[in-house]
Order: sequence, then structure tokens, then C-alpha cells
Amino acid sequence: MATIIAPPTPVMDNNVVVKFDHVNKYFGALHVLNDVNLEVKKNETLVIIGPSGSGKSTLLRSINHLENINSGHIYVNGRMIGYYEKNGRLYEESEKNISRLRASIGMVFQRFNLFPHLTALENIMEAPLNVLKVPRETAKADAVRLLQRVGLADKSDNYPSQLSGGQQQRIAIARALAMKPSLMLFDEPTSALDPEMIGEVLDVMKELALGLEMTMVVVSHEMGFARAAADRIIFVDDGRIIEENTPEEIYDHPREARTKEFLSKILH
Amino acid sequence: MYHFDWVLFWKYLWPVTAFQNPLIRNGLIVTLVVSVIAQAMGVILGLLAALAKMSKIAPLRWLQQAYVWFFRGTPLLVQMALLYYGLGVTHIFDFPDWHIGAVTITGAIQAGVLALGINEGAYMAEIVRAGIEAIDVGQMEAAKSLGMTFGTAMRRIILPQAAKVIIPPLGNEFNNMMKTTTLMTIISAGELFYGFEQVNALLFKPFELYLDASIYYLAMTTVWSFIQSKIEASLGEHKAMANQPGLFRRLLGVH
Repeated sequence: MATIIAPPTPVMDNNVVVKFDHVNKYFGALHVLNDVNLEVKKNETLVIIGPSGSGKSTLLRSINHLENINSGHIYVNGRMIGYYEKNGRLYEESEKNISRLRASIGMVFQRFNLFPHLTALENIMEAPLNVLKVPRETAKADAVRLLQRVGLADKSDNYPSQLSGGQQQRIAIARALAMKPSLMLFDEPTSALDPEMIGEVLDVMKELALGLEMTMVVVSHEMGFARAAADRIIFVDDGRIIEENTPEEIYDHPREARTKEFLSKILH
Repeated sequence: MYHFDWVLFWKYLWPVTAFQNPLIRNGLIVTLVVSVIAQAMGVILGLLAALAKMSKIAPLRWLQQAYVWFFRGTPLLVQMALLYYGLGVTHIFDFPDWHIGAVTITGAIQAGVLALGINEGAYMAEIVRAGIEAIDVGQMEAAKSLGMTFGTAMRRIILPQAAKVIIPPLGNEFNNMMKTTTLMTIISAGELFYGFEQVNALLFKPFELYLDASIYYLAMTTVWSFIQSKIEASLGEHKAMANQPGLFRRLLGVH
């Protein structure tokens, strides 16, 4: 008699950092995520493009459970995000466990969301001190190093309100990196910036994507960045992944009519 | 024509002579101490109620609603009498006097503090909630995405920012609190106004004595307004508070 051992969670490739398995989400009658299946490999930079309201931000935000999902599974580094399974049913994870998983996932927001009551340095030290319980000296040394890395060593004592949008976003990237994440999520990181500041933020992101060991999922329409740093692009519309390919293929030879139509709008 | 008794007026206005009467001296101390403790209670209860209102747990929200509904929907004077006489007569709590060294905290003072604090919490709940909701939702999202739990995010990120929104109305609440303590006269708790009432019962000079009482309260609220504007000025270091009315305008109530 053959013994069948069912694995508790699907066997996953060690190289897969993010996995979406038949994920669905509704906002009332609106089907925001429609049977999304997706894998992001280790050290890969995935760029998500799509019209506004297409579900691309929701897709990104569900990776660290800032958005809940109605069905399907999302795994990060092999662990299910936001839910645990018991007797075939899904239950929302305890806040503590969700927080622990989020601590290993960096996130950068469109509107920076720096903490306005803390200086640049304190913004970066805050989570290592209060979440990882790193000693103050270590946290400070790390923060100083990160500020140098994003080119803002001289701004350590400035409050966010004293910094330009581009500088704030670079601090926000440093703040996320201070948690030493293996995965970074970027939610339209340059859309709220004045045109002359976009370059400085993209430079930091490019360096991150190309240089270190980092898996990145980026919602952005910056073609220059995507061509230079992305391994793969997915085009999302109506909550579905419509097309998936390398930047060269997507931009130069889009296959789907909706992709063509969308690109013709954003590329003028 | 009424003969205004200047000697009596000055006697009960000038602290050195007025404080020779222990009813006035102790009354002033009781008023100040009760105000501070009741306001502190109000802030703590208000914070708990505000968090309960935002909670995912339904019974907590119902409890908060019932609390605010009752304490904002009934007069404080009635709440105070209900608490002191009601709990006393049913022997749920007899409010025994507490002796701490040479100081005696009477049951009436305990009941007064309790009623003022619980009542204040129902009002502070709205102020704290408004303060928390004034903070951009992106702040909580950023804190969560860094791995902070709700509690850590509240303590480290949200409440320090909300405090700037909460402190100006909190100062106004404290100003009201110092005046509202006079309601404790109904349960003979021995605060400042009760002292003047007792003196008046003896001398029957209501015009002079209640004028003195008014000046005492005016002095307290005026001193507090100065302290309040200093506190608010220090809060405004990183953020311009240009829309806050100045001290003069606030004292005179002009806009």
C-alpha cells in the first residue's frame, strides 16, 4: 500500500521569494485581484505597470498584508502571509506574527510617510530600536552608514519637513533598509516627486536592484528604470496579469492589445 | 442702599488673611489637587475609550458607546450625587475617609474626583479620537510595514503626533475642570467654593464673599492660560501653529 504524505504547505522552490497562488480580492462588487498567480525569484526585480485602478498597488500591498485577500494564498520566503490554515480553512494570523513577517519586508510609499516628529537619523533608527531591539549604538552606526549610502549624510539631524521630496524618499528607502529586508516593495516611489527629483531616487533604487542581494517588486511607470534594472515586467489591468515579459519585449513588442493601448498612453 | 463691606472683602481676598480660615486654605488645595487628578483620570479614560472605539472587538465598542452615552447624556451634578449617595446607601462602596499621614481624604472628595474624572473621560474620548484620526493613515501603514505592532505604532508614532492636536483642547478642558470642581459643593467635598459658602453661612455677606470666590477662580484660570500658551509654544517648534488664537484673544474670548 502506498503511503501518501500530504505536505502541510505546498513544496516551494527555495529560489521563490514571493508566490501568489490563485489570489482573489473584492472591494464590494469590484474584483480587484482576479485569480492572480505570480512568482518572484530571489534577487529578481519585478516591475508592475498598469492603469490607475487596475489593482497593481493592491497586489503589491497584499504582499505584506497591508491589504487582506478573500481567497488564495500568498507566500513570502515559503511562509503564508497574513493567514494560517487549519482544517482546510484560512484564519487571519495574530498581529504579532504578521508584524514579525513584515519586519523582514521593506516598503517604500508614494507619499514617503516619514515620521514627521523624528529626525532623518531617528526615522531610520526607530524600527531597529523598537522592533529588532538592536542596541542604540549599533542602530545609530547602521543609520549613519545608510544615510551615506543614499547620499544624505549631512541631513541626519533634519526633520522631514526640512527636506525635499527626493531627499525624503531616499530617507524612506534607508529607513526600510535599516531592517535588513530580503524583499523590498516600492509603491509608485516617484509619482509624488517633482520631475527634477525623480532621478536621485531612481539612482538609489537602481543601485539596490543591480548591486546587492535584493529582491524587489516595484510599481512604477518609469521606463528608464525598468529597462535598466527590471528582470521582468508584468502588465496588470482589471485585477488580472495581462502580460508578462522582459522590459525589452514589453516596451518594444507588446503582444496584448491592452498593453499596447496602455503603453501608447504613458510613452506619448 | 447696600453697604459694601470693604474690610471683609479684602480680608477674604488677600491670601495671607483669607488662608487663616482653614476652609479657604484647604478648599483651594482641594480644588487644585482634585482638578489635576480628575483631569489625569479623564485623559487616561479618554485614551482607553478612544482606543476602544477604534477596536475591532465589538463588545469593546459597545462598552465605549454606553459609557459616552451615559456620561455625556446626564448632568455631572446628578452623576456626582448618584455616585456618592447612591453607592453609599446601597453599601456598594461606602467612601470611607482615607488617612494618609496628617492628611485626610474624605469620602466626598474621593467621590468627587471619581465623578469628575469619569465624566471628563467621556469628553476626552472624542478629543483623543479626533487627535488620532488627524494623523495621516500613511503613518500607521509605514509603522506596520516596519514590523511594528499596533501598540508600538500607537506609542512611538501615532500618539506623539496626536499629542500636538490633543494638547490645546486638553488645556481648555483643564480650565473648565477647575471651575467644574465647584459642583462638589453638592456633596460637601470641601473645595474652594464650599469654603466660601460656609463662611457666608456664618457672616451672610454673599456679594463680598462670592466676588472674592470669583476672583480666586479667575486667578487660577488666568495663571493656567499663561502656562497653557507656554506649553503650546514649545509644541509648535517643528510645526507652525499660526491658526491657534493668542493668549489675549483666548482670555477675552474674541475671535
